[in-house]
Amino acid sequence: MSLPRLSFEWLHACCGCEVSLLDAGDDFLTLVSQVEIVHCPLLLDNKYQRDETGTLQLPQADIGLVSGGVASEEELELVQAMRASCTTLIALGTCATHGGIPAMRNQWTTQETLQTVYAYGSDEASLFPTKISTPLDRVYAVDEHVQVDWLLPGCPPTSAAIVGMLTGLLDGNPGKALTKSVCETCPTRRGAKGQGGVGRFLDNATGDPQKPLTEMVCLLEQGILCMGPVTSGGCGGKDAPLCLRARVPCRGCYGPVRAGSNPLLDMLGALASNGIDHRSMIDRKSLLRFSGAHGMLKPLRKRR
Amino acid sequence: MADQSMNGSVLVVGGGISGMQAALDLADSGFFVYLVEKSGAIGGSMPQFNKVFPTNDCSMCIIAPKLVECGRHPNIRIMTLSTVQDVTGTAGNFTVRVIEHPRYVDMDKCIACGQCTSVCPKSVDDSFNSNIAKRKAIYIKYPQAVPLKYQIDPTSCLHLKNPTKCGACAEICPPGAIDFNDREREHIIQVGSVVMALGFQTFDPAKSKIWGYGVYPNVITSLQFERYLSPDGPTDGQLSRPSDKKPVKKVAFLQCIGSRDKNRCNNEYCSTVCCMYAIKEAMTIKESNPDLEVTIFYMDMRTPGKEFDRYLERAKNEYGVRFIRSRIHGVEPKGTKGDLRLHYISGQGQQVEEVVDLVVLSVGLETPESMVRLAERIGIHMTPDRFASISAFMPVHTSKKGVYTCGAFNGPRDIPQSVTGGSAAAASVSALLTSVRHTQTRSLLPPVEQDVGGEEPRIGVFVCHCGTNIAGVVDVEELAEYAATLPQVVHVARNLFTCAQDTQDRIVQEIRDKRLNRIVVAACTPRTHEPLFRKTLKSAGINEYLIEMANIRNQNSWVHNQEPEVATQKAKDLVRMAVVKVQTQVARKAIRLPIAPSVLIIGGGVAGMTAALNLAEQGFQVHLIEKTTQLGGNALHLFQTWNGEHVPRYISELKENVQQHPLIEVAYTSTVLSVDGHVGNFSSTIRTGSSRKRVINHGAVIITTGAKRYIPEEFEYGKIPKVVASIEFDKLHMHNETRVANGKSFVFIQCVGSRNEERPYCSKSCCTHSIQSAIKLKKEAPSRQIYILYREIRTYGQRERIYNQARELGIVFINYEMHGPPKVKKDGKGVLVEVWDHVLHRPLEIKADVVILAAATLASPDAMNLGNLFKIPLNSDGFFQEAHVKLRPVEFNVDGVFVAGLAHYPKPLEESISQALAAAAKAGRLLARKEISLEPNTALVDPVNCDGCALCIEVCPYQAITLVEYEDEEGTPLKTVNIDPVLCKGCGICQGTCPKRGVDVAGFTYAQLEAQIDAALEEEAPLEEQL
Amino acid sequence: MNTTPKIIAFCCNWCSYAAADLAGISRLQYPGSVRIIRVMCSGMVHPEMVLHALDKGAEGVMIIGCHLGECHYINGNEMALARAEVIADTLEDMGYESERFQITWVSSAEPERLAEAFRAFCGRLAILRGELADISDSQDSRF
Repeated sequence: MSLPRLSFEWLHACCGCEVSLLDAGDDFLTLVSQVEIVHCPLLLDNKYQRDETGTLQLPQADIGLVSGGVASEEELELVQAMRASCTTLIALGTCATHGGIPAMRNQWTTQETLQTVYAYGSDEASLFPTKISTPLDRVYAVDEHVQVDWLLPGCPPTSAAIVGMLTGLLDGNPGKALTKSVCETCPTRRGAKGQGGVGRFLDNATGDPQKPLTEMVCLLEQGILCMGPVTSGGCGGKDAPLCLRARVPCRGCYGPVRAGSNPLLDMLGALASNGIDHRSMIDRKSLLRFSGAHGMLKPLRKRR
Repeated sequence: MADQSMNGSVLVVGGGISGMQAALDLADSGFFVYLVEKSGAIGGSMPQFNKVFPTNDCSMCIIAPKLVECGRHPNIRIMTLSTVQDVTGTAGNFTVRVIEHPRYVDMDKCIACGQCTSVCPKSVDDSFNSNIAKRKAIYIKYPQAVPLKYQIDPTSCLHLKNPTKCGACAEICPPGAIDFNDREREHIIQVGSVVMALGFQTFDPAKSKIWGYGVYPNVITSLQFERYLSPDGPTDGQLSRPSDKKPVKKVAFLQCIGSRDKNRCNNEYCSTVCCMYAIKEAMTIKESNPDLEVTIFYMDMRTPGKEFDRYLERAKNEYGVRFIRSRIHGVEPKGTKGDLRLHYISGQGQQVEEVVDLVVLSVGLETPESMVRLAERIGIHMTPDRFASISAFMPVHTSKKGVYTCGAFNGPRDIPQSVTGGSAAAASVSALLTSVRHTQTRSLLPPVEQDVGGEEPRIGVFVCHCGTNIAGVVDVEELAEYAATLPQVVHVARNLFTCAQDTQDRIVQEIRDKRLNRIVVAACTPRTHEPLFRKTLKSAGINEYLIEMANIRNQNSWVHNQEPEVATQKAKDLVRMAVVKVQTQVARKAIRLPIAPSVLIIGGGVAGMTAALNLAEQGFQVHLIEKTTQLGGNALHLFQTWNGEHVPRYISELKENVQQHPLIEVAYTSTVLSVDGHVGNFSSTIRTGSSRKRVINHGAVIITTGAKRYIPEEFEYGKIPKVVASIEFDKLHMHNETRVANGKSFVFIQCVGSRNEERPYCSKSCCTHSIQSAIKLKKEAPSRQIYILYREIRTYGQRERIYNQARELGIVFINYEMHGPPKVKKDGKGVLVEVWDHVLHRPLEIKADVVILAAATLASPDAMNLGNLFKIPLNSDGFFQEAHVKLRPVEFNVDGVFVAGLAHYPKPLEESISQALAAAAKAGRLLARKEISLEPNTALVDPVNCDGCALCIEVCPYQAITLVEYEDEEGTPLKTVNIDPVLCKGCGICQGTCPKRGVDVAGFTYAQLEAQIDAALEEEAPLEEQL
Repeated sequence: MNTTPKIIAFCCNWCSYAAADLAGISRLQYPGSVRIIRVMCSGMVHPEMVLHALDKGAEGVMIIGCHLGECHYINGNEMALARAEVIADTLEDMGYESERFQITWVSSAEPERLAEAFRAFCGRLAILRGELADISDSQDSRF
């Protein structure tokens, strides 16, 4: 009996997601013994092939995992090849599911980004490197270009989450999608939100770190910007959300709680309703630092 | 315990707004009502009006739901074309003889198709349209008439005059409803009480030739003008000169035609409403024709009601209506083209001649002769002005026990006062007949509701023509065709008037026949008409919330009437938006709650005591709380009513009755600290004295917190001891204090603190008050010189009599204006008053022994706090703002909370008492039901999305949301929120806040709003194909 | 044919929707591109509804509530105002000109104010489209 075939590919990403899988230790070894990894640029030196029509060919696999968003024509070709070669496709990590950090560039035009990143001469474009793949107009999440079967957000997703999803898929029991926010499993105490302003997490949260989280007051209510209410839950499984365990506010890496919703607008709207001045917040666009794909971040239209 | 000698039915005579209100309140309070109307349909005068002041609501639109409610009420029997012959017996048990005149149309058969009218060859003047249009001999009174049944006018029908002629209607009538053999019938009815809401007629200016009415075609009455302006009138709201149909450029309104006039008619009184309706008509015509010149010629602008002075100011300043203080005594023709010449003396004393296109006579109100005779037959005393004689203390009681009266039959009055009177009469009847409540009524159970939850939507779309209001602009045929192409729409119908009774019946039938389970009505606005259509759904056996209205009239055909194509296009969008919304509408059940059968009344003045006593007599427990140590309130300072009744004697009797009634508990030095709960089940914390707190449970609350008096800062008040406020003067006068006893010259200054920039309202009772004091002074010593410095004398209604009396006694009235107010200074032992006389055109100096300031009435400073506690609004002057100025004058949008007396607005005693009774009627009507059902339009938590992040909790203005913890099946602790469906008012502020769609309001869900947005923005394919 | 850009106007049941009804009664005329969506309170409108409408092709979105201090639900319009600042700021982040959104107040007795608000907003959008040069022309803009 042949083993289930796994294929990995990375796009506009940092390889943190793959490293997170490697961090699984024994669980990773157990997993490797149950599957055949047919393609993984981090672990295997697999040469890229094109067929006679010039189409990129990747090894056929049962499960494909793609990390990173789609930012260039090269990455677009790769993700299409992955889709073509895999029966089930998983978008791994926030860059793949919601654009992640690289998608922050969506608030500028490609030209502006290039001009920011690369040096340029008096004729502007002249110093751009010629070897880079042609950038797309913006950074896309994987599901904006190909159909994705499973989303596993997280920056990065925990080892347990990746292994859990893969073993679940192999067992035919991949679990169900979560609909609620980080607050669902957050054990902090909640009451009144309207306590003035909210700000960045510069000082430690109040509350005795020796005492359980259930005795800490909700970070938002402490005036610390926590993206929990607008962020899809599940990072900590059934237990407290990961960042909250460290008494650190949620930054929103699991993406919007509801597909298509806008965490920036939702968060600021809800804060404003509670009498909190959103202008007390520095760099509000950074609320979309993980979710800039799907058209959430756009360059300002040219005014007439 | 049913009393054998009492009967639980009530006769209401007169189907105008006042009678309708009395009938509805009584029928809802457990009495069976016979509503007798002399014409062929109920509604009275309101359907004839274009708009109502001061809100400028469309009159027909606000009365239509009431008409239908009366028509449908299982405990109201409408008897049209009927007159009361006589009433015999005693309170609790009357025998009434009613003559029903033949209609010649079988009401059971008539389907109101109108074919009879189209073939009828005989046209006669249409009195509903004030004779500016014709109707046929077979007709309906007006298109929305209830009952919507045709009638034959026997005085003009050719066949009835000569049986060998015509009969065309009988030939064409599809159901064979015409019955030329119909005969007069007599009905003998047993009732426990009678309410006389006999109404009024407008003065007929043809009686005197001087105004040229009936002689020059371009002289019309204000009622005719209403019909010209009315969009559903014979000219579709377009005004042109009757003589030559040319556009009108210059209009003059002449006030006081048939009012304040002892010479040409016997109507000495002021008709109260004409100033306001003239302003309204002037504003309306200016709105549609800004270049038109409108002038109102008046004697005094009598706009003493709530928001009336602001309305007047708007007319002057925003609309540019010209006001000239001059009574014009005649209209003459100018040339032969139909122009009219007016001659008057200007404010500067110059003779002026003006030529206008159109003269509108602001005709007064009077009691029809037939009604005077009926009152005589029943044994009701009348005033010299031919209105029912009533005491200010008992404003709806006639001289005959058990017979009550309301509306303009009690004296000329506007709609809110008539509505208040109707309710007040109902309260008085309820108190009389409380032992036989629910003995004559029947309850009709609606048909069992079909569960359509699992079914695929089958949508019926009903497109209303609204006569020509919609169909005249929107291509309704195209619209209906388009509607039929929309997903899940299985039935489309067009109706001339979808709100008419017969259409309602037809919709019920179509819902059943076509198994419709969702309804879209494309018509007017849901704000006025959704309740009506909901009832229709209910009677068809489907849930009443499975409806959506597309507002294609008010928000489409009327606002785009110059662009029919745009309007048709938009109508399609609006229908599509309604269809997608109704697709996801789900059945909802009203929340049913038991009612605590007791009332909390806040404020122990006359209004509070009156309401308390009436409710106690109706058998309900009353908690009356008073913040001072004694009952009586502001009336403790009053000496007499306008018609000379002794106030202190009445107050002491009322106090005694209240204190001794076993069902009334009075708490002194008490205030409300906090309020919990809702209609039917309030629990209020009361603090008595300085410390003691207790909780009172009550089903309803009446706010009668009164008002306070203005302490003048002007006219050297407080600096010169001889300058006093009117209330202080009454006391000095009563004790004949030396300043009064030795006084030879008295000056009254009116409008002190009222009608200025800070308080742009009239305190309403001061003119009458000062004149009464003046008369008393003058009668005591005719040699006294008495001056009243006024801006406008507002002795509205029959109070005009004392104004006339004062002038006859030689009291001097001097007009002053805001820009030149009187000046007061000390002058030896006396006071010197300087004023500019606008008649003599020179300054006057008056040496006064006493100067009396008619100080304003101010809103109670407690109102703000109470408003917050009960979530009810105040107007900009600090008085409580009722739910609807016209038709819900003592109610709020918060159910179970009512207002009466000065807390609502300054007013004289009898109006406070009338309002108090009306508030008692509303509270009684509520408590008599024993159980209430609340609208289920509350916010609902979506358990799939809510995770208890608690962002919504503080934003709820009603504290209806609480955070709750629970465990899932595996024992994981989780959080969510709970919404108290009774506290929740359905505002959706939580919905606007929630970042995860965890909560939304039934009927306005995210999904529905989003679907409406999508539908609105959808490119519409079928039209592209057509083009 | 249906090329005229549309405007979504969220009107609260108690004031602006009533004013819109009254505008009809008074036969006031305003641009036919306005599509009113009835809500119970301006505070009911989630900021996302505004963004959604723009994303779906609305040329502009208005939220029209009762005058401040006159909310039927005590302070719903104040909530709406607080969120409106968020919406205006965020729309720019989202790539829309903040002029495409407006919040305003109209009492139930101010149909002319409402009609004028519609006209003025349409004028403002026409300027964005480059069809109108300056605001003074907006009085006559009919679409």
